[in-house]
Amino acid sequence: MTAFLAVAGLTYVYLTLQLYHLGERRKAVENELTSLRTQNDVASAQIAALTSRSALQRRLKEGYLKMIPISEANIVRLTIPPRSPDEDTIQPVANPSAAR
Amino acid sequence: MNPNSRSRCVLVCAAFIGLFSIFSFRLIYLQAIKHDEYAGLAAEKHVYKQIIYAERGTILDANSEVLAHNIPVETVVADATHLSNPEAIVGPVSNELGIPSRQLAEKLNSGRRYIVIKREVPEHTANALREKLRAGNLRGIYFEHDATRIYPNGSMLCHVIGFTDFDHHGIQGVEASMEEYLHGQDGYRFIEHNRAGQEIVPYRGQERAPRDGYQIHLTVDLGLQNIVENEIDAAMQQYSPQKATIILMRPQTGEILAMANRPHFDLNLRSEAKPEQMKNRAIIDMMEPGSTFKIVAAAAALNERKLRPDSEVFCENGLWKFGGAALHDHRSFSYLSVRDILIKSSNIGAAKLALSVGEQKFYEYIRRFGFGERTGIELPGEINGLIRPPQSWSKISITRIPMGHEIGVTPLQMTVAMATIANGGKLIVPRIVKSITTSEGTTISSLSPVVLRQVISPEIAREIGDALRGVVSDAGTAAAAAVPGFTIAGKTGTAQKVDPRGGYEEGKYVVSFAGYLPADHPEFVGLVVLDDAHTSKPELNYGGLVAGPIFARLAEKAARYLDLEPHEEIRKAIPVERVEKKVPAERIHKTASAERIALTNASRH
Repeated sequence: MTAFLAVAGLTYVYLTLQLYHLGERRKAVENELTSLRTQNDVASAQIAALTSRSALQRRLKEGYLKMIPISEANIVRLTIPPRSPDEDTIQPVANPSAAR
Repeated sequence: MNPNSRSRCVLVCAAFIGLFSIFSFRLIYLQAIKHDEYAGLAAEKHVYKQIIYAERGTILDANSEVLAHNIPVETVVADATHLSNPEAIVGPVSNELGIPSRQLAEKLNSGRRYIVIKREVPEHTANALREKLRAGNLRGIYFEHDATRIYPNGSMLCHVIGFTDFDHHGIQGVEASMEEYLHGQDGYRFIEHNRAGQEIVPYRGQERAPRDGYQIHLTVDLGLQNIVENEIDAAMQQYSPQKATIILMRPQTGEILAMANRPHFDLNLRSEAKPEQMKNRAIIDMMEPGSTFKIVAAAAALNERKLRPDSEVFCENGLWKFGGAALHDHRSFSYLSVRDILIKSSNIGAAKLALSVGEQKFYEYIRRFGFGERTGIELPGEINGLIRPPQSWSKISITRIPMGHEIGVTPLQMTVAMATIANGGKLIVPRIVKSITTSEGTTISSLSPVVLRQVISPEIAREIGDALRGVVSDAGTAAAAAVPGFTIAGKTGTAQKVDPRGGYEEGKYVVSFAGYLPADHPEFVGLVVLDDAHTSKPELNYGGLVAGPIFARLAEKAARYLDLEPHEEIRKAIPVERVEKKVPAERIHKTASAERIALTNASRH
């Protein structure tokens, strides 16, 4: 009985220490995660700033980027035939964002 | 054992039993009866409610380009009770944060316990300071996570996006109107600290995760916005107006595609902006619209079947005395059809159109076009404009209001009115918010177009649209607003500027052009307004000569951006060989101008 109580007591102490230890590890992992999230957010903000339209426009003006407008003669437009609702064949598709 | 010893033993035992009984009762009293009270007191000492802040939602354009989002920063604070050596701390903190040493020392010795040293410290600066403090074994300085709002596009779309205050609450633009969705919901966690102030993780209590703010997707297309911003900047440079506004709107859905005002400000440097720069003039500035308003008079007369588009109206040869006051036209006209009244922009003709329907009916049409009430766009601070009821009109009001005087409208109201013509007579609510989604992309709300009312019949809208095409012909007042390859419908406006002290300011005008393209199947409606433009000669300060060409340039670029197909004539007019022969840019430009005139003439007839 005494031995059982002693083992139970020791196990309780050991598990309690483990609980604290795991708690510390959990906190460390949480801090690391927060730090990584912060770094990610900072990087995202930098990407957004560097790829923003204003930034690209500025670089275009500074001559870092070179863009030439496409002349009308170089644009090829494909006329998509109107689709019949009962046609059960593969239909041509158009990019909806370009076809606004 | 003798009786005395036994009785002493019993006494001692009884004393012990009594003593332990008292202890037991006390223990039961404390642990059972008073448990909640003392547990509460203990919790007050050691348990803290830690707030887990929700991240504010981002604002995106129609193509998910970022317009506003957050960047993590730190707030550096000091706990005066933990400052072991304030003098030693001043040096590194002052160096890293760029605060004068004296000012920092004064803060640290202020006698308060919680001292905010600096807000919005960038992460890398905070990390560098953290390292220095650790190396010097200095205690008492803490870092609190925070976030600040950044706007990657600076001044672009500044009046629409708006900004937040120190507490991350929106105070202007979409930031303010969508505050409820952008703000999110903070979470919390109950934690216990040890004596060193560190959290005891196993003792964590109740916890609620934060809900980040929703993402707001605007209807604005940054590609079109960029075109508009460039054109308004060019206009500011060329004409130096006091104020300018350009709006692009999709008439079928009410989506605002672009909106720009000048003066403007950089959202990232908002503390330096002046109040005048922060006004979204498209919705909070009233103007007398001038002749663009004639579409209302024409719509009323035609829709009430008082006149037909080809009905002729006598325009008094340029001078008409009505109600004891003279009304002039810019040129002498005898008889003009209703269509030609719009094309030639006859003030007398427009006045007679309004007279044909009467004051009350004309007022009803003004209101039906949405003037005198907020459009309902999701932007804060929109005004109603000023439309007086017929009871307070003077004798001559019926002749002045049709030409856009004696009323106050916002540029957005004028755009919506033109969109009504473009949209077959349907008045649609303009929208700036396209959808609301979670940060994971799940749609919370997707806003559908709202048609308020059918203002005029589709046939009458088409008739007016046909007349407005003529405005952009050589016979009209805005030949310079023509765009090669596209048919445009539009109306010019030139209104003398109202003097705040009464009357009108001599030589100062608000010039405007409202139009849509292509005239048959409008993809967008645009409005260009310049307040007090400075032209080389005063006689050049007209809507058709100032605002018209600006509209033409931006419409041409917008049509190319939206990949609208030009008419067959213009495509045939540009021979492939010309490009292959590499004609100098200047010559191409001149050829294009010549084609523009030819095409304009062709489309007129």
